[in-house]
Amino acid sequence: MRQTERHAGGLRAALAIARRDLVEFVRDRRTLFITLLLPMVTYPILALSTALGLRTASSEIEAQRAPTKIVVTVSGPDAIALVDRIGFVEKKTTGSGREGWPSAIEMEAVTAADARGRLDQGVADLWLEAPRGCIAALDADGTVAIPVHLPPGRPPNRRVRDQFDAVMRSLAEDVRSRRIQLAGLPASVLAPLKLVFVDGLEESRPPPAHSIMSTLAGGVLVLLAVLTLTGAFYPAIDAIAGEKERGTIETLLIAPCGSRDIVFGKFLAVFTVTLATLAANAVSIAATAAVSRRFLPADITMALPDSAVVAILVTVLAFAGLAALSAATCLAVTTASKSGKEAQNTLTPVILLVSALAGTALLPGMRSDSLLAAVPFSGQVLVSRGVFAAGEAGPHAVPAVLGPLAVTLLSAAAGTWLLLRATASMLTDEDILFRGGDVAGAGFNRPGRRTRPNVVQGVLPIVAGLAALWYVQGISPDDLVRAIPLQQTAAVILPLLAVTWWQRVDIRQTFRLAWPGGAAGPATWWGGVGWLVGAAALGAAVFVIGATTLLAVKGTVLSDEARLLSNKLLELMESQPAWVSWGLMAALPAVCEECLFRGWVQSGFAGRAESRQRVVAAIVAQAALFAVFHLLPERMPQTFFLGLVLGGLTHASGSLLPAIVCHIAHNSMPLALLAAGLPRWALPASVGCLLLGAVLLTNGSRGRSRMEPLE
Amino acid sequence: MRVAMIEVVDLVKHYRASDGSVVRAVDGVSLAVHPGEMVGLLGANGAGKTTTLRVLATLLKPTSGTARVAGCDVRHDPVGVRRSLGYVSATTGVPDRLTAREIFSSFGELHGLEAAGLAARVERLIEVLDLASCADRPAGRLSSGQRQRVSLGRALIHDPPALVLDEPTNALDVVGARDLLSFLAQLRGEGRAILLSTHRLHEIENRCDRFVIIHGGRVLATGTRDELLAAWADGQGAELEDAFFAALAGGGAG
Repeated sequence: MRQTERHAGGLRAALAIARRDLVEFVRDRRTLFITLLLPMVTYPILALSTALGLRTASSEIEAQRAPTKIVVTVSGPDAIALVDRIGFVEKKTTGSGREGWPSAIEMEAVTAADARGRLDQGVADLWLEAPRGCIAALDADGTVAIPVHLPPGRPPNRRVRDQFDAVMRSLAEDVRSRRIQLAGLPASVLAPLKLVFVDGLEESRPPPAHSIMSTLAGGVLVLLAVLTLTGAFYPAIDAIAGEKERGTIETLLIAPCGSRDIVFGKFLAVFTVTLATLAANAVSIAATAAVSRRFLPADITMALPDSAVVAILVTVLAFAGLAALSAATCLAVTTASKSGKEAQNTLTPVILLVSALAGTALLPGMRSDSLLAAVPFSGQVLVSRGVFAAGEAGPHAVPAVLGPLAVTLLSAAAGTWLLLRATASMLTDEDILFRGGDVAGAGFNRPGRRTRPNVVQGVLPIVAGLAALWYVQGISPDDLVRAIPLQQTAAVILPLLAVTWWQRVDIRQTFRLAWPGGAAGPATWWGGVGWLVGAAALGAAVFVIGATTLLAVKGTVLSDEARLLSNKLLELMESQPAWVSWGLMAALPAVCEECLFRGWVQSGFAGRAESRQRVVAAIVAQAALFAVFHLLPERMPQTFFLGLVLGGLTHASGSLLPAIVCHIAHNSMPLALLAAGLPRWALPASVGCLLLGAVLLTNGSRGRSRMEPLE
Repeated sequence: MRVAMIEVVDLVKHYRASDGSVVRAVDGVSLAVHPGEMVGLLGANGAGKTTTLRVLATLLKPTSGTARVAGCDVRHDPVGVRRSLGYVSATTGVPDRLTAREIFSSFGELHGLEAAGLAARVERLIEVLDLASCADRPAGRLSSGQRQRVSLGRALIHDPPALVLDEPTNALDVVGARDLLSFLAQLRGEGRAILLSTHRLHEIENRCDRFVIIHGGRVLATGTRDELLAAWADGQGAELEDAFFAALAGGGAG
């Protein structure tokens, strides 16, 4: 009903709602505490505990590095000679050659009994036994074994051992030089290669404490992401769930403006508060960092990059996008709730999820110069970390992070827009407004018999499947003959069977169990065959084009995981009969995944009415989940595209069969190519098949949109 | 022939319950309210009163039938309906942290009122609703009666010709209810069409011009107080409540 009034209130109404909500937020002490006070106390406390820890750690490092005097007793027939030789090496070694040495070495030659007594009394740190002829042997050849005794009954002093090792390394160096000289070889035999760094990189090597600071900076960015989301938490609850609880939401809904204007106004208010939280966090971080310079060790505080201003600016921009995304996320989640308490219960797992997402940015190998910058909440942390790292490499490296910044901002804007659209749709949903429980809770209730799952129920088997996949890794056998059926059973079949039984949906409608008839007319046998043949051609084409594109963009370089998987698949194809390989690689995953994604998930996302916008959103969303489900980042674009094609096929044909055939054809291509090789005409033929498929899909979709909904 | 300000014809509203069954909340209700008329919508809990009023307020979409306010159809011109309608429900609250003055101003802005005219309108409402002493106090610190008057003022900010109230006296004491109904009578005198639902029949027995009794989503009886008493109650001293129960019993609710 509200679609016809989209421009009725417009920006003016949105601004009026934003002003009204902001006044309410400002008068709420809880919001003020979360927005302003919490950041102001969080970072000083964090800095205080960190500074104490760093100072302790730094002191320990310094203490371990500080040279000390060591006392060594030497016994045995060649004791005096060994003491003399070490004394000689001590006098000879100077400058950097004494790195790691003690400040002084006190050595004395005594009897074995005296040596043991001194070691037991703690007078000596070490006791060496010099066997007869050891010095002569050192000057000849072979390896001389010198027994070393440590003090009994107490743990050996690591520092003494390290410093003594350094002295012995110098003695060994001296022995090598003597042997080279005796053999008439030049001294360069021992140093055949010397690296000379001409661009000063050697000097700019970060100090040891730098890694601590880098880790700390990553942690602060994750904390900033979580606290920024927290800034949107209470305002969003207050803005919608709170209004429902107070009974004031109806007064807004009967104002002469559209639901999108209402949602946009509320978004502006929550976004403003979230930005204020971000600003308070930024100010607190800056103030805390300025003060902490007085307390942190010097080598840590000097680790700020040269282009710190640019880095801070990029971080603020990236996190402004995160603030928008946070505000929209919290609004969307709370819109499905009927009370503040319910909204808190729903938002708490979201905060945990966001924390995990932001935390993944700290994992080794996560780089901002990839599509990972587009991942919500991880991307912003990655980009910010990247710009600080680039700043350390020099100001000239900073422009390289502008691309990832643009990606993360665009991703945040797109995510925000989609979430606000969903919120506007949910805001006027009669079921959510006036009847029943909240949508989030509905996924966990066993409903009466219904034709299709809803959106939340649509996601449930994927979440359960991913968790099951993780657990199965622990018991999964190495050979794919057993591993593939086990993984498909755990990740797809069991979750799908469980939700289908629990939700009591109409299996025929949900999984589109019908002969593909298209939309143009009644289903005919030959028409269906046409769909299946076209789908098979489309699947093969998508594989060839996807693989060719991947090779062109990425080359043959694969991640470790992808290489391992490819090797295992090749091994499977070579070791098993063709029908076994085909069944495991092509047929089984295709049937299982089509039932899950194009059957259950797409039906749930498309809803009963199947409006054009809803169907497009459902196809895109299930394709995204399909790509994520495959867990290999380099394959995600190709898998996403395949998901779009399969989703379009299912909708256009009104049947799951073409998608299954298309998926099987797609998965069969590696086997076919291994057997027959890649003919020259494969790529042009694939493009032709793809175009033909696109035309078929477009025609089918047009027809479908004219049809009555399935129910 | 007088044109109805609020008009409902064969209104049907069905929805699907959580167990999958279809609930017929409103099943063919028709009624009309003319300018300068106050009509009471009577019915037991679950009769379909609130659903009917929510459809009129454009909060629910009708399954079939028509509902119009000032000639605007709720399905095709919901914004027109909202511009002509003031709506107050039993669950309608007021924002606790805003003052009456701020609430009136913000809703005036939402209705597109210009600043100068809005300020005058706010002052006028504060005066007629007797809110001068508490106009700048947060609504969370007002009494139930004062809050209900603020709610009514919010519904009247754009000077609508039609007013729909769902059990407006529920949270009020006897004095508050009498004052509110007196004020509604005053609004009727200004030519507004008023449709209100209530369980407290004695309060509106002598204030409404006509009554519509509904049950199970259907209209059981309609008419003035005297017409209803003549049709459904017998004997001297009968009250509207007697006619109401008789109508329910006759309609199969007994």
